Amino acid sequence: MARNGGNGKGRTEPKGSALYEVLKGIDFEKRELLDKTKGVGLFDLVKDRDGGYRCYACTLCERTCPVDCIEIDYCPEFEELPFDVEAERAAMQAMQPEIDMKLFDGVIARIREGAGLIEAFHTTQETYGYLPRRALEEIAAEMKLPFSRVYGVASFYSQFRLKPVGKHIISVCMGTACHVAGAPLIAEALAQELDITVGETTPDLQFTLQTVNCIGSCALAPAVRVGEDETYGRVTPQQARKLVRTLRKKEA
Amino acid sequence: MAASETTGSARQARIGEALKAAFHAELASPGDDAVKIRVCAGTTCNASGRAALSDALAAELEKRGLSDRVKVVLTGCHGLCQEGPIVVVHPQGVFYPRLKASDIAEIVETSVVGDGIVERLLYVDAASGERVALEKDIPFYKRQTRIVRDINGFIDPTSIDDYLARGGYRALAQVLIDDDPEGVIDEVERSGLRGRGGAGFPTGKKWRFCRQNPGERHYVICNGDEGDPGAFMDRAVLEDNPHSLIEGMLIAAFAIGGDEGYIYVRHEYPLAVARLRQALAQARERGLLGDDILGSGFSFDIRINQGAGAFVCGESTALTASLEGRRGMPRGKHIRTVAHGLWGQPTNLNNVESYANVPWIVTHGAEAFAAIGTATSKGTKIFSLTGKVRNTGLVEVPMGATLREVIYDIGGGLREGREFKAVQLGGPSGGCLPAELLDEPVDFESLTAAGAMMGSGGMVVVDDTTCMVDFAKFFLQFTAEESCGKCVPCRIGTTRMLEILERISAGEGTVADVERLERLADDVIEGSLCALGGSAPNPVLTTLRYFRDEVMEHVVNRRCPAKVCRPLIRYTIDPEACTGCHLCLTACPAHAISGEAKQVHVIDQKLCIKCDTCRQVCKFDAIPVETGILAVAEGRQQ
Repeated sequence: MARNGGNGKGRTEPKGSALYEVLKGIDFEKRELLDKTKGVGLFDLVKDRDGGYRCYACTLCERTCPVDCIEIDYCPEFEELPFDVEAERAAMQAMQPEIDMKLFDGVIARIREGAGLIEAFHTTQETYGYLPRRALEEIAAEMKLPFSRVYGVASFYSQFRLKPVGKHIISVCMGTACHVAGAPLIAEALAQELDITVGETTPDLQFTLQTVNCIGSCALAPAVRVGEDETYGRVTPQQARKLVRTLRKKEA
Repeated sequence: MAASETTGSARQARIGEALKAAFHAELASPGDDAVKIRVCAGTTCNASGRAALSDALAAELEKRGLSDRVKVVLTGCHGLCQEGPIVVVHPQGVFYPRLKASDIAEIVETSVVGDGIVERLLYVDAASGERVALEKDIPFYKRQTRIVRDINGFIDPTSIDDYLARGGYRALAQVLIDDDPEGVIDEVERSGLRGRGGAGFPTGKKWRFCRQNPGERHYVICNGDEGDPGAFMDRAVLEDNPHSLIEGMLIAAFAIGGDEGYIYVRHEYPLAVARLRQALAQARERGLLGDDILGSGFSFDIRINQGAGAFVCGESTALTASLEGRRGMPRGKHIRTVAHGLWGQPTNLNNVESYANVPWIVTHGAEAFAAIGTATSKGTKIFSLTGKVRNTGLVEVPMGATLREVIYDIGGGLREGREFKAVQLGGPSGGCLPAELLDEPVDFESLTAAGAMMGSGGMVVVDDTTCMVDFAKFFLQFTAEESCGKCVPCRIGTTRMLEILERISAGEGTVADVERLERLADDVIEGSLCALGGSAPNPVLTTLRYFRDEVMEHVVNRRCPAKVCRPLIRYTIDPEACTGCHLCLTACPAHAISGEAKQVHVIDQKLCIKCDTCRQVCKFDAIPVETGILAVAEGRQQ
């Protein structure tokens, strides 16, 4: 009877099933076949009859591997891509707003000091207020990483913004204490006053509204933070609206 | 034998001298029996207007020519955040809460120049209604047992000399003199210290495993990614006493044979990052960090890494992935971090609070630590007590204290006229416990048995205005959003569970939905690699276990007893109570209220967005909220 895998737990596969057909050919008594140190059991990509790889580089295996042993890399050997890489890149560039590359030297310096990818992102965001695509490309080049890796990390973390932000970033705390004190009502009031939804920026680039997971000012719940260090506590929806109006007046 | 004794005492003398040289007594703040003013500069007090207060204080002292004689110390968080901004005047130790800049002149006149007390500004104990003058007599402080937060609130966190003056880094010197790493691990193991990050793994055991595992380098990591919404204990240690963490990490590194350290801090805590940077620089400058620490030959340095807003990075394997500059996704637990952690090397990862306990254990001995707490959970635990209690803030209690002691004796009970409904422990991984369990002791085992968990120590008290379905929905929304997406049961399961809860809170749930919710919860727990998925259904499960009636009320009677779930409620105006004052009318953002001046107003149910603004602004309690089939049906008809 064929058994599943090399773990010896002995789950039996029904006779005639596809897995049975595969497993019956393996002698589980000779477990050393699966010993990776002998070079057996390493990955190979399945090829179609015409010799092409079936893999679409969807990176699902990379993402779900429970032991993180797979990494999908951009491989420059494959030159025949179904699209013109340079043209695509140029088109992407054209869509991006111009950024001052002189400011980018600080980021490069940090990387050369030994900063990791996430630290480099933080420095970039402090410089530009968000992570411009151009900057991400430069970071990828500097750190010799595939752009897909860099972009993948940047989009994973909620603090990194890939779009320009407003002058005033209004963060509504959504911690537990703020939630029970009515934070959702505050976020709603602000969204209404600014006429945007949470996570958006006003068209005049004055305000960005976002929610954050607990700023740790639970005693002041519900709390709203403007910028980095201006915290308002025990806010009511009315006060929140007033706050926006005051900030607007200051700008006008 | 004789030779090693001489080298031993020579080592002792050398390290002792080095520690003495590191301390610049003239730079330390004066002791508590000198004339000085402690101003709390914790995040919450800062947000409550501390800056204006200390400016006024400096100006007043300057005006009276007292600037040289009376030292103002900006300390870390005092813990009673509710009452900020806080000022304590020494040598008496008089506690003044909720001060305004205009009160300063009176305080300086009475308490600093004279030795009197400004009666009207004193703290009023909400439970007894009495005024309490001295900080140490306030029930909130009196009933705590402080080990980790022992000197927080007394020292200036930006001054290494304040920490040294209070016996700081002496534990490190002791450990370096003894030169017995195994002995340190024995000591920590005997103390019974367990990980304060939530899971409660014995710290000594972890250190031993890490030490025993071979590798090119050993890493020592501090997990300061305090992502639990409603928890800020770690932030308090980082901001108020960063050196205690650094000392703890140094001792751990010495015991394990660590080569390099990392502190992973949330990016949402800018002040903590700044304080840590400063503390690390000071420690390096004084020879307490870096090469050849205190002339002992032991070298170790620490780097700060900032997170970027991913809750899952509080999980050990996700955190190491994030440190390596990858997406913070956890991996299977059969590969242990102590064997293959950061860059595949043996890594010891502990929580901030765990490390901060270590210097105390070394100084006072394992037995003293083990004497506090219960049979299986030793020492103290810091909780951030928030929600609808009178005294919100940070409390440190011995393990095994009951919930009632924490919430009523220290927290002062619920706010005026409110009724206790539940306490939420452990954030999105924990659960809600009802009033029946108030006498449950707070330790690792009891809480897990009750369906909640210690977590990192968030404790949120809710009253009858919180709907338990909505509360469970809030946590599930959080975990569904924060799920990294690696394991399908967590990624999709939490979303499906959330959809069911949304149906229930909209009054569209069925009894089968409730059963499906329980089944799904089991699948999510079983099928997830890490603790995020493994504990994400806890809030829902405890809600179903202890508050099933309230859930069924939503399902069967389409009622939300707490009047929170919007599709099930309706705002009306009580014609008896309404005076036609126009307040609600002007405040309503949806222009849903109409009525002439001094006439009873009406709410147009079609326009009402149920934002609660009108009820909040009404001075006559004339806007009752209705729930139940009738209310909903009427609302739809209109």
